[in-house]
Amino acid sequence: MGEFEVHRVRFFGLVPAGVRCLACQPRGGRLALARTDGAVEVYNFAANYFQEKVIPGHETRSVEALCWAAGDRLFGAGLSGEITEYDLALLCVARSVDGCGGPIWSMAANSSGTQLAIGCEDGSVKLFQVVPGGIQFERNLDRRKGRILCLSWHPSDTHIAAGSIDFLRVFDVCSGQTVQRIMVNYHVLKVRRECIVWSIAFLSSGTVITSDSFGRVQFWDWQRGTLMESHTVSTSAVLSLAVSEKEDSIIVGTSTGATYQFQLLPVKMGSLEKRWVRTKPFQHHTHDVRAVAHSSTALISGGLDAQLVIRPLMEKMQKKGYDAALRKFTFPHRRLVSCARKARLLLFQFSQHLELWRLGSTDETGKDGEVLPLCRMPEHLVQLKSKGPEHIYCSCVSPCGSWVAYSTASRFHLYRVQYEGDGVSIKKVPKVPKLLLPAYQLQFSSDSGSLFVASARGSVHVLQLLEPGGCKHLHTFRPPSGSPEAVYLLASSADGHWLAAVGGDWAIHIYDLKCFKHHCTVPTYSCAVTALAIHPITNNLVIAYSDQQLFEFSIPEKQYTAWSRMVQNCGLHRVWLERDSPITHITFNPKNPSHILLHDIYMFCVLDKSLPLPDNSALLMNQSTLKQLPETARQRQLHAFKICKKFQPLLFADLLDENCLVMVERPIMDIKTQLPLPIQQKKFGT
Amino acid sequence: MAVARRRRRQKAAGRGKRGPPAALLSPPSSEDEAPEEVSFGVAKEAAETQRKLVGEAVRRHRELLREKRRRRQELFTEQKKRKLLPEALLQELAAAPTDRGEGQAAAADPGKHHGGGAVKQRQGQAVKQRRGRAQRQVKKAKQRKSARSKGNYTAVCLKDQSITGLHQQLAKDFLNTHLYGPDANRAQANDFFSLENKKNPVKKAAVQFVDKSWGQEKKERATRFKKIWLATQLKNQV
Repeated sequence: MGEFEVHRVRFFGLVPAGVRCLACQPRGGRLALARTDGAVEVYNFAANYFQEKVIPGHETRSVEALCWAAGDRLFGAGLSGEITEYDLALLCVARSVDGCGGPIWSMAANSSGTQLAIGCEDGSVKLFQVVPGGIQFERNLDRRKGRILCLSWHPSDTHIAAGSIDFLRVFDVCSGQTVQRIMVNYHVLKVRRECIVWSIAFLSSGTVITSDSFGRVQFWDWQRGTLMESHTVSTSAVLSLAVSEKEDSIIVGTSTGATYQFQLLPVKMGSLEKRWVRTKPFQHHTHDVRAVAHSSTALISGGLDAQLVIRPLMEKMQKKGYDAALRKFTFPHRRLVSCARKARLLLFQFSQHLELWRLGSTDETGKDGEVLPLCRMPEHLVQLKSKGPEHIYCSCVSPCGSWVAYSTASRFHLYRVQYEGDGVSIKKVPKVPKLLLPAYQLQFSSDSGSLFVASARGSVHVLQLLEPGGCKHLHTFRPPSGSPEAVYLLASSADGHWLAAVGGDWAIHIYDLKCFKHHCTVPTYSCAVTALAIHPITNNLVIAYSDQQLFEFSIPEKQYTAWSRMVQNCGLHRVWLERDSPITHITFNPKNPSHILLHDIYMFCVLDKSLPLPDNSALLMNQSTLKQLPETARQRQLHAFKICKKFQPLLFADLLDENCLVMVERPIMDIKTQLPLPIQQKKFGT
Repeated sequence: MAVARRRRRQKAAGRGKRGPPAALLSPPSSEDEAPEEVSFGVAKEAAETQRKLVGEAVRRHRELLREKRRRRQELFTEQKKRKLLPEALLQELAAAPTDRGEGQAAAADPGKHHGGGAVKQRQGQAVKQRRGRAQRQVKKAKQRKSARSKGNYTAVCLKDQSITGLHQQLAKDFLNTHLYGPDANRAQANDFFSLENKKNPVKKAAVQFVDKSWGQEKKERATRFKKIWLATQLKNQV
């Protein structure tokens, strides 16, 4: 593997926003997630839970409810009082309609996906029709005092249950009248606080399930207006509730970070009478769990600690394998750091600003594992605040370090950076060509002479960068058969000849930059691409997919390489395929052409193509054992995958020069200080 | 009866010379016995001391209330002073001659912006600016009113968009009070994450001390305090 001097960077102050809403697509195998900063993400279950789409947030946008309607249309509503439809192909807000009821607290679609009901601050429930061009206001249901915090449709779409403060109400949809009003806090003695119904669900049997701020999950018979069962699950509020499609299992999330599963079980073996029983407690989160979802095979919860946890249910799994493993996602599945290798600069992308840092340096050398003292500390050179309330989609710094570009939903900015001695001056490049915004990915060419801009409908723009500070649009590449989705990954070759682009339809197109033509398309694979890179010498395209498969495609020959075919024949090691996080960056060592360096959140790997591949019986992470073996024994046990798990969670890793690596880590405890306060836990003895 | 006995014991404690009367040395008997005789003068003195003690307690209580009231009054005057604009600015506003022109322009603008299908944020920002300007106008108008008794001002009706912001703020406040308000039982990050360190078989210190990047403010405050303390110590010595 070699010896490297590692710049261990921990000053990237990324604090991911907490998860606020979750919505499972009814028959699509996708999960939509909304965060507290207004960002909306879509996870694809079939593609190994890959975060396939990200719509960045907005300063004024707060999403309080998210739902899928009419198949694959995604709607969100928030405290700004508007219902927004998200365009998942263009990754932006398609349109928004004012609800005219003040801030919207909840939204639910009926079972056929044709109507949306919203619960507003003024106490009204409004119905909207989902029509092909957008949504249309239909009518208001009976309005009473008290903000509607949660809503649920009856599966037959005849009634709506709404939870408010101290009350829950049931509406008849046809007449619009309130047919039942139940007081929720009647059973709490000596109560001076209000009882807030945080979430509600309506079962087809006529049972209404509520969760409230006293930590209770209650089952009501709405027609008689009586309480059937009450379970006190926690001393703090129960904030979220989700029912499975078969209505035999419920997941609830509390303020302490605990989630509980309730199941409808027969009272005795073989008896027909069934009761709801609290079965499984989980403590996956440290902060409030404000969103839960129940898919057909898994319990999904999202907390304000920015974690998304997917817990497959063992009874639904056929066999005990990696499919049944717990999945926890904290960090995004994309690169937020770009590196200027020659200038030793790092550009950090935050949601509303960018930070440019110069790495420190050391004059000393040492042995394996030693910490070397710095002779020059890392410097924070520039902080670029994005103008306007929109969050940043993508950013990049050129390899020479003199150009910085970023894009938001409606603006594209290009800056020229000049270094005079120790000082830095940054100037905006005026008259940037008008492109269809936003740009989903930015990539500078290796000679810093062009900028590649990934755009909508599969197109990639090539901009030529002119000295001393200008920009000209050269060409726009489009895939030959057209594509509705946006390009989200780019890779350019070191000699400036080739450009690879991946769109949302997972097709990889390769373009020739010398004659501005489409060169070829990589054969389609059934999974999403997570990282892409072109080898500087052989011009082989190395592709990492979200199911952890690796492919190498030779661009000049337009076919997979022999090594790639060998990997596919032998198969990758089981431990490699069972990794939780996708590979987000691939890079190469110019001095060692057979090396491929890749990393995911929990490991850094140097893949040596000249060494044999390990089979399933060999140990994959064998670096520590190899160190202890003598030279001859080591030669026998060497295999291609050299994995280092010392640096984690790893957000970015790159090779600066032949002996120098930079690793950007973000320890989880550093994030926890900046999150909202958790609920106090009293433990005996502390 | 028990009260009479207590008073006697107090008297006895106060006048140690005479020694306790024989009745007190006997073990506390049950309440069935007849009350013992107490001389008038002794009882009178006991009552007076009792009254004096009570009076002193009441006086102390009154003093305490007075102190509290005084402190609250000071706090209110301080807050009131803080709310007002700085002295210099107030004087400048009072001296400003003609600001009526600006006020009229602000009145004309809402009418224009109504029709345009401009982006909501721009409108929002413009509204905020207009609101700010209008507020300043109102303040200037008030100042002018106090400085010169005559002065006509124009009342400007801003577009209803400011209400959305207000509703949103109310909604956010509701959420905050119920999730993070006084009833919510929230803990500081340091307390919460140190529980693990303290429950471990090998006990460690709180995260604030273990993890060097935590508790930066406290450390800074501590270093500042140390500097000040050392400085005062040296001054005192010299």
